[in-house]
Amino acid sequence: MSDTFGELAEIAAAPRPRRARRTRALPPAIVAAALIPIALIALPIVYVLIRSADAGWTGIAAELFRERTLMLFWNTSVLTFSVTGLALVIGGAAAWLTERSDLPGRGLWRVLFCLPLAMPAFVASFAWKSIGPSFQGLGGAILILSMESFPLVFLPLAAALRSMDPGPEEVSRSLGHGPGATFRKIVLPRALPAAGGGALLVAAHMLSEFGALSLLRVQTLTTAIFQQYELQFDNASAAVLSAMLMLFCLPVAFGEIHLRGAERRDKVGRSAVRRRREQPLGPWLWPALGFSAIVCVLALGIPFGRLGYWLIRGVSAGRGIEAIGPALWGSLSLALPGTIVTTIVALPLVLLALRGGGRIARIAERLPYVVHGLPGLVVALALVYASIRLLPAVYQTRAVLFAAYAILFMPLAQSALRASAELVSPEMEDVARTLGRGALRAFVSVTLPALAPGLGAALALVALELMRELTATLILAPTGVATLATEVWSLTSDGAYAAAAPFAAALVLISGLPVYVFTLRTLDPGGRGRKRRPRTG
Amino acid sequence: MYPLSRRALLKGAALGGAALAAGPALIAAASRPARAADGPLALYNGQHRPPVEALIAAFTASTGIEVAVRHGSSAQLASQLMEEGAHSPADVFWSEESPSLFALAEKGLLAPLAAGTLAAVPAEYSAKDGTWIGATARCRVVVYNKANVDPATLPASVLDFASEAYADRVAFAPASGAFQQQIMAVMILKGREAALAWLKGLRQYGRVYNSDSAAVEAVESGDIPIALSNNYYWQALAREIGEADVQSAIYNIGHGDPGTLITVSGGGVLKSAKNAEAAQRFVAFMVSEEGQKAIVAAIAEYPLRPGVTSPFPLTPFGELDPAPVTPNELGDAEAALALLREAELA
Repeated sequence: MSDTFGELAEIAAAPRPRRARRTRALPPAIVAAALIPIALIALPIVYVLIRSADAGWTGIAAELFRERTLMLFWNTSVLTFSVTGLALVIGGAAAWLTERSDLPGRGLWRVLFCLPLAMPAFVASFAWKSIGPSFQGLGGAILILSMESFPLVFLPLAAALRSMDPGPEEVSRSLGHGPGATFRKIVLPRALPAAGGGALLVAAHMLSEFGALSLLRVQTLTTAIFQQYELQFDNASAAVLSAMLMLFCLPVAFGEIHLRGAERRDKVGRSAVRRRREQPLGPWLWPALGFSAIVCVLALGIPFGRLGYWLIRGVSAGRGIEAIGPALWGSLSLALPGTIVTTIVALPLVLLALRGGGRIARIAERLPYVVHGLPGLVVALALVYASIRLLPAVYQTRAVLFAAYAILFMPLAQSALRASAELVSPEMEDVARTLGRGALRAFVSVTLPALAPGLGAALALVALELMRELTATLILAPTGVATLATEVWSLTSDGAYAAAAPFAAALVLISGLPVYVFTLRTLDPGGRGRKRRPRTG
Repeated sequence: MYPLSRRALLKGAALGGAALAAGPALIAAASRPARAADGPLALYNGQHRPPVEALIAAFTASTGIEVAVRHGSSAQLASQLMEEGAHSPADVFWSEESPSLFALAEKGLLAPLAAGTLAAVPAEYSAKDGTWIGATARCRVVVYNKANVDPATLPASVLDFASEAYADRVAFAPASGAFQQQIMAVMILKGREAALAWLKGLRQYGRVYNSDSAAVEAVESGDIPIALSNNYYWQALAREIGEADVQSAIYNIGHGDPGTLITVSGGGVLKSAKNAEAAQRFVAFMVSEEGQKAIVAAIAEYPLRPGVTSPFPLTPFGELDPAPVTPNELGDAEAALALLREAELA
């Protein structure tokens, strides 16, 4: 704490030298690189505004002031707030138990808590729905989606808890503060960016969720946008709804800035690899184990059970099975490069907001979160509109699809990267620069390696999301390229559940692999992926 | 809090501008062109996949022309074709529903079909201006759960479902294209007021589902006793589960009621087609005897070409006694949408 106060005092007393020092910390090449994501994000925003204008003022007013619009707003709000709250509670508890308590089998629980990421929400929803009609509707959707989305809070939060400098905690404990007070005063403020970033992602997911909600018969702004496109062949009123959805995203996107406050969370020493004392659970051991088990049954057991059921029954079993190889290749060949593109594109925005610090940088960093709440359909149509007019040669090539992926999923990379980036001290770069490195080289040799834990989480989150991405892939993928997700979608929409089951199983398996690998890389102490020491020389 | 220095900003802007300019050029150079002019025939497909895959296999075997397919929902593909406009890489659009084709024809995106092609099926199932052709017909039906519903008690008109007697017993999918066509049929046959009252009643007493197939599955699993649907969703489900185990059945209302309505799937050639000749051949093949046989072997729809029969156990086309309206009258979805909005269903 005194560290923060000291820094605040320093800023107040001597703003000028500080400003100069901070400015040097971010190489101009990074600033330049940030213009690419900003340009990408602007595309769907401009498209939605142009198309909304097509509806005219009367059209916009007619769309806004309707009983139905009120209902859609209500459903969207209830769903978003409830699922985000539940995901924070479940993901937060899970992260604390696996990172800070003496819960037995933490390595296993860690992997289990990440695995729901591999289960696409529409597959999970179908599984739950087939148990009985009572899981349909808003209540069921809140339960099912909370269970499938809490890892978005768990993963960044666990990574943050793990890479946090234990020094201040040890100081706090040595000053006689109890574990509770230490957690509140030291750990919680430092974990908030990760938790807030994860919660933002969950909220944005809820705003844009389509497949699961339509299976569960919940009507939100997003399902209404899809319905609008199904109902008529004039995209104006769907665009008006999209513009409303973006307005809805604004408080979500900017709210977290307040959550973060002005706290400084970086560290100078590289002490985080030291082992931290675990909090004994004592009498809470059994409730903690029970909680973990129930979460795993709800989030994993039931969806996997139903998937297995469809694998062994149904007349369409085996139909189209020869397509599984091409679909698998399709998924990998789109998701893996897409992941790398998305993560690279997100990086400068994170650094810009963190180091540039100005208001414009912060707004730029938030914009992807506003667009993240838009349905993939709208972003895809924006890219159709733009690419066919500006660059017809790239239309229906992978390049346009990767741009759509970057627009849709940049915030996943951002939140994971920022959790790590905030822990990197700019002074380290200064040290490198006083040793004669240029700004860019100092950045590459000092800051980038320190981002490794966040980078792993970023790659994991984006890869998983891209594996199951459906609507943008359907519209923008090169003709003839199918993915596991698009095969599952088209087979289930023909009612061929047994035929779809192997594709769904392959999708879950192939997603489970990166979840496992990246979880180890992100969270495993001393894991091979954690090259924490900067090369100096 | 710490604004960037002017020099860093200028340097950044210059580099960024260069990156922005170079980026697209690099991407364009790295990616192959959208489609070579003499590449395979590009088909945008909104119809269910099994019949399309069967037809393509037969077409390629017969003509040697390769076909590249994009699958999607008809309405989404129609939206996409409109965004693409004259630059569209598509040659042929095969739609599950005629209103999507109607909308593309209205926007002037479809080319006229060859006279010989149009002559293969009865004229009432194709566009009046000859820009699209019906390939198969399907029927709006009532699907009911055998354990919960005695078919003898089902009403004489689909309008009767919008009443308290059926509260929480009827599933329907307002966003499905076929349901919109059913609204049009009610409007044409019973008047606008009756159609609006019907929709308001369904909203009050019925249950909204995402799609016809979801509604039929809900009936099969006992979630709800009755669904308004297209016939082939039930036939697909019956084949999936096995005739002996299926819990639901089809009820045809008949006697010209809008509850029994013929809708068509069909195809058209894009005006901007780069393979216009091959595209015309493909659509002609859709309605040829060979093509029709391939299609109806894969989905429980009625062939529109006279003389071809479906291998599925369908109610004979002649016995349906459907609502007396043609796909052309049902084509303009705008009036149906206005009614859906007025009833707060959309």
